[in-house]
Amino acid sequence: MARPMGSVRLKKASPVTLAVGTALCIFILYFLLGSSTPDFSASRKASAAAHPLSPPTSPFRRSTGGGKLKPPPVTHYNLNNVTITPKPLENRENILLLTPMARFYPAYWDNLLRLQYPHELITLGFILPKTKEGNEATKELQKRIAKTQKYGPERDRFKSIIILREDIDPPLVSQDEGERHKMQNQKIRRAAMAKARNSLVFSTLGPDTSWILWLDADVIETPPTIIQDLASHDQAVIAPNCFQRFWNADKKEMDERPYDFNNWQDSDTAGDLAKKMDPDDILLEGYAEMATFRTLMAYLSKEDGRLHEEVPLDGVGGAALLVKADVHRDGAMFPSFAFYHLIETEGFAKMAKRLGWQPFGLPNYKVYHYNE
Amino acid sequence: MLPFTSSGSKATPRHHVGGYSNGYPRGKTFDISPHRYQPRGTTVQRRRTQSLVRVALVAAVLFLIVYFCWPRGGRSSSSSSASSSILSVLSLGLLSGGADFQLETVRYHDLSNVQGTARGWEREERILVCVPLRDAEAHLPMFFSHLRNLTYPHHLMDLAFLVSDSKDKTLEVLTASMEEMQAWEDEKMHFGEISIIEKDFGQVVNQDVESRHGFAAQAGRRKLMARARNWLLTAALRPYHSWVYWRDVDVETAPFTILEDLMRHNKDVIVPNVWRPLPEWLGGEQPYDLNSWQESDTALQLAETLDEDAVIVEGYAEYATYRPHLAYLRDPYGDPDVEMELDGVGGVSILAKARVFRYGVHFPAFSFEKHAETEGFGKMARKMDFSVIGLPHYTIWHAYEPSVDDIQHMEQMKREQLALEQAEKEKAEKAMKLKESFGDTTGQWEQDRTKLQDFALKEKKETAAAAAAAVAKNKEKVAATEEKESGGKT
Repeated sequence: MARPMGSVRLKKASPVTLAVGTALCIFILYFLLGSSTPDFSASRKASAAAHPLSPPTSPFRRSTGGGKLKPPPVTHYNLNNVTITPKPLENRENILLLTPMARFYPAYWDNLLRLQYPHELITLGFILPKTKEGNEATKELQKRIAKTQKYGPERDRFKSIIILREDIDPPLVSQDEGERHKMQNQKIRRAAMAKARNSLVFSTLGPDTSWILWLDADVIETPPTIIQDLASHDQAVIAPNCFQRFWNADKKEMDERPYDFNNWQDSDTAGDLAKKMDPDDILLEGYAEMATFRTLMAYLSKEDGRLHEEVPLDGVGGAALLVKADVHRDGAMFPSFAFYHLIETEGFAKMAKRLGWQPFGLPNYKVYHYNE
Repeated sequence: MLPFTSSGSKATPRHHVGGYSNGYPRGKTFDISPHRYQPRGTTVQRRRTQSLVRVALVAAVLFLIVYFCWPRGGRSSSSSSASSSILSVLSLGLLSGGADFQLETVRYHDLSNVQGTARGWEREERILVCVPLRDAEAHLPMFFSHLRNLTYPHHLMDLAFLVSDSKDKTLEVLTASMEEMQAWEDEKMHFGEISIIEKDFGQVVNQDVESRHGFAAQAGRRKLMARARNWLLTAALRPYHSWVYWRDVDVETAPFTILEDLMRHNKDVIVPNVWRPLPEWLGGEQPYDLNSWQESDTALQLAETLDEDAVIVEGYAEYATYRPHLAYLRDPYGDPDVEMELDGVGGVSILAKARVFRYGVHFPAFSFEKHAETEGFGKMARKMDFSVIGLPHYTIWHAYEPSVDDIQHMEQMKREQLALEQAEKEKAEKAMKLKESFGDTTGQWEQDRTKLQDFALKEKKETAAAAAAAVAKNKEKVAATEEKESGGKT
């Protein structure tokens, strides 16, 4: 069948035909190989765990061939060798980036992709509520993850990603700006938030993690070198200042304003207030009814201030927070109850202090919150 | 790269040259007799095409190299990018032939499915067994036998060991035994994930019984133990765990069904009663774990008077708390299912739902409401509205290690025993001596007596014999006279 055609074509075998053939071959090879680009480099494959029952901070080798799974191997982890240094990049330290998420902001993901820390050292952990809103966010998140992890260039792909779903009681109710900040809702909301944060960190923290970066889902802009910059301070707990960009109608230009008021230094007034309180009551920041006169880091920022200026803190917020893994390993968690009249991230700062870790803040190093 | 270059180098010339040299005549169209041999073109033409093929080949190879090495080498900031990219090309080539695994980087877990239920073994709920170890080589064989005997499905149990500051061969023995266990022929014996975690905290407190239980050392020791426990848990707890079981290695006797027995109660935190066997002279048995207790008003008042960093430790005269202890409420014949609410728990054997730890309850390595470690754990769990339960009549037995007092007592007892034996011996010797000195006389007396008796017997015999002889003489005499008389008649 092919003979007549072949004879016709091959009769005039000229250099042109040869060149076209070669080009075709290359073309075919290109596509043959091109189809396998979603695969990972050998170094990543080598560092992957051999069994699905492994720390979730590492990817694992999923057997595509049939056959029974072998019993998991006996694995050694020497935590004496996990370094936590001011130079995480040089020591190739593993980062666990944790985000409790109720709504998915594409800008958040874009910001993650811009991070200049090697992505093969970053593990992402998410926890989402099992509500309608949470399902929606999960779907969008998974879409973006698939796009990056399967089809994106390898340098964009993260080491491993863990998505957790949980019904937290009391449920995280409406996330509307107004509703969310009502004082009576605060304790319930933050207790649930604390549980979500704890579930996230204690399920995902692996034996090779050096640093944990807490980054809220609505933080949409950070400096791309935030990990290196914050780690260079070598502090156990360190918080940048969280601001929000907005359209300033008076000035007719984009402006920024302080957003997170949970980074503060304690005051005597707050101490006195606490003494009069019931043991289960909590102090809250940013409410006129409860004037604590604490020094808020949000207002310590100066236009001409040094970028890396440090201030010690007694309470921290969770918008962005870099924590040495040892702090969580020692047991520091986010109390969902009144701990020294503090709750969630502020209680965490207190607990870290009780364990001997002093939190610090960077008033002039800014990250930006989504503006709704 | 090998398979591709080789296939390329083969495919290209074979196709073209083969087509070219298949005997088709040149310059004519539609020749229907193609099997006739026709010479190829001139040598010049042939050489030209060959060189063209070579050029094309080189170009193809170059293109492939550039395609794979250039972009990655250029944009990757990691150190081993160039070599790894070539490696990756190689491995890709091999893998496309017969890959048996893919890298999975995304994991999805619904934590609502791992909340823990009363019948976990039926619902395939995974349980994390946490065992903190330090210089525990001597106890390991006993512990492994317990582990093997547990009736909870082994494949649902993930084991995590923390070996810290050990100077003996704990790590080596542990590794060898666990590897042996996973290589067991019987698949039902295989456990799930086994993690052996090493971390040294630089503990200054010795692990021997006296320094371990001395009052002064308690607060510091408990805080260090708490850190160790937290490090173990945070490194080993995974999103797929429903339960966490803490177990000390030095438990001597425990029911094989302990996991199911405790799980059945479906409580957030549950502990059995822990006693220990004692030598007979100490009463045979004794409550061991005094860290499981209910809060008392006295203790709460005491707590208020103490410094922020103070740690109340149970079972010491310095802190008289008058708390009801789980250990003292044991009735050996009581119903093992009886429950008791607790505020502080001991760490010998704790079964807890994993969600307790997920929600942040841990072993405080600081003074949490004046308590640390497992007692603080109980307090924190209560603070977060979890149920904390003890089973007063369900008992497991801790190994008995004699304390210094006990050892002294035992030495004392041994001395007494020795003294007693000595006295006994002396008494026996004295008796012996007495026996010897008096024993001779009695012997003599006996001898004499027998002699006398013999003598008397002899005499008796002699007299009897004499009498008999006399009688016989008389008889003879009589007979003689009778003979004489008869003979005189005839």
